[in-house]
Amino acid sequence: MVIVKRKQLSLFERLYLPEIFRGLGVTMRAIFRRKITRQYPEEPLVTNAVTRGQPRLVVNEDDTIRCVSCGLCEIACPAYAITIDGQETERFIEREPERFDIDMLRCILCGFCEEACPKDAILMSNELELADTSRQALIYDIEKLKRPVSSLQDRLDYVYKLNNRWQNSSSTS
Amino acid sequence: MTKIFIDGREVEADPKQPLVHALHKEGEDVPTYCYHPGLSPVGSCRICQVEVKQGDMPARVVVACRTPVSEGMQVFANSPKAHEVRRECLEFLLKNHPLDCPICDKAGECDLQDFSFNEGQSFSRTVEPRRKLDKRKSLGDVILLDEERCILCSRCVRFMEEVPKTPQLTVSGLAARSTISTFMDRPLTGNYQGNLADVCPVGALTLKSFRFQARVWNLKPTASTCGECSRGCSVIHEVLRSDELKRTRPRENQQVNGWWMCDTGRFAIDKHELEGRLTGAHLHGNHGLKATKTEEALELASNMLALHGPPVIVASPWLTQEEGTLLVELAQSLGTKAHFFSPAANGLADDLLHTGDPAPNRRGLTELGLEPIESEALLESLMEAKSALLVGERIIDLIGEDQLQTLPAALRLIICDLKSVSAPALNACFGIHSCVERRGTWINVDGQRGRISMCRPAPAGTLELENLLRSLTSGTRAPASA
Repeated sequence: MVIVKRKQLSLFERLYLPEIFRGLGVTMRAIFRRKITRQYPEEPLVTNAVTRGQPRLVVNEDDTIRCVSCGLCEIACPAYAITIDGQETERFIEREPERFDIDMLRCILCGFCEEACPKDAILMSNELELADTSRQALIYDIEKLKRPVSSLQDRLDYVYKLNNRWQNSSSTS
Repeated sequence: MTKIFIDGREVEADPKQPLVHALHKEGEDVPTYCYHPGLSPVGSCRICQVEVKQGDMPARVVVACRTPVSEGMQVFANSPKAHEVRRECLEFLLKNHPLDCPICDKAGECDLQDFSFNEGQSFSRTVEPRRKLDKRKSLGDVILLDEERCILCSRCVRFMEEVPKTPQLTVSGLAARSTISTFMDRPLTGNYQGNLADVCPVGALTLKSFRFQARVWNLKPTASTCGECSRGCSVIHEVLRSDELKRTRPRENQQVNGWWMCDTGRFAIDKHELEGRLTGAHLHGNHGLKATKTEEALELASNMLALHGPPVIVASPWLTQEEGTLLVELAQSLGTKAHFFSPAANGLADDLLHTGDPAPNRRGLTELGLEPIESEALLESLMEAKSALLVGERIIDLIGEDQLQTLPAALRLIICDLKSVSAPALNACFGIHSCVERRGTWINVDGQRGRISMCRPAPAGTLELENLLRSLTSGTRAPASA
């Protein structure tokens, strides 16, 4: 048990009204300061290329998926959120995913999948909102994850920049 | 034994084996592509080069797979010179090797990938385009060849010549356009084609049935024994996502199968499907089979066997030694003899591995005192008997569903198998574990013990045969002791 000693109030404090006006003064000053709160649902979040949102699969201009289902994101994922099954395709790359599920409830947005991907096929998009009414609906399948490459171009350029920086620093050391 | 020095350490080496064998035995990580312990060495890939000094001669670089060991030889497997020549050799091998690893099925168990990860450089010094060859060349029903990935080690050519002794592959073409091909582009034949995918050190020869099925690092391997013939090859079953049996490959066992296995056993994974499995205990009533509590069904079954005896007891040759022992006990308590079904030879016998006898534990069950019984003799005795117990996986398929349907309804038939059968004689059936879901021992045709192990969890509700047999034995004994 802790015995808390109440602070002895001075006469000025016990007068009550001066302290009220002092508090109102703080409020009045804040009214004229620059506002930093954001009206979130009405006002969308500001995102840029560095934003690490939910992972998305890149679809090329010719409507083919970039992913070759090599399974590196699956094994890199620390939350075991990704499940991939491959299948044969007639295209040059020979294999494409038949099933590509990301359990968005498990995903911790760490970006390891993007880092592991040898084909730049999975990228952290700027999509941050995630709400639904069932758990099953939040296991995103391949159709929900596909995004055209144009919408992810900023992130792609940023990833290239990062990789180049890494390559240059390692070759000089 | 010959005395040699590996990096200054004095070791004993087998003079009949090449130097690389001694290096591997001492744990030296010398890479090999064309060398395979089960094939004759040719020294074509040059990746196993080490520095060797003998007597007063200056040290020289040799390929370890073509160099015999000699007394007092000094080997430097990790000298700077040895590493340098291996790295140069690797650069040549990788010069035309496609950057296919994300797609390649071999990635993760590829010797070339492992060694270039350990030792190679991460950039290429060439700017010229790599050679373009056929990436999907079919070599028969089993094997697919990717010519671009091939490093021309010729292991596959030598395997076909030396192991099944049916030379079908050759290196054709010149220089950089050399490819592996069959004579006159005929498809490969024989029961040992699957081994080509195992001997290939890169992803050039791959199994068609395993193509893009799984990434190898996601597979959980379990050492087990093949159950497709009485040879009982040591195998590794590989399971994806806890219950999908994806691949079977041979495990080195010099007493039984060496490094190889036949395609019959390799592609037997289809026989271990989970669909249509019988789970739990069922009793046959007026409206067909009805799921029952296991205890109830066991009590009824043991009463049936005890009262309408002596029953005919027939085991499937897939029964393990442990289960066989329990079955013999059960038969003794019922005052009868246990038999095992002896399937006819399936005509797949060859002089390499396959014995042609589809019963994996014939020798073991015979040693336990079970008597082999042929199909006709079994049906005759079933016609006359009052009750019968058929035990073990595949026993329904072995006897034949049609034959079981012809049995008289007066017979009280109890079956423990992976599936059920609609026969008028059937009174009770129990769903049991298959040979990839239980532990046990088989004894092969030469008397070698082979362990079978749990590669995947049994489907929920299936019963352990050992427990069933124990319960039946105690159930049949109970009235006698009371």
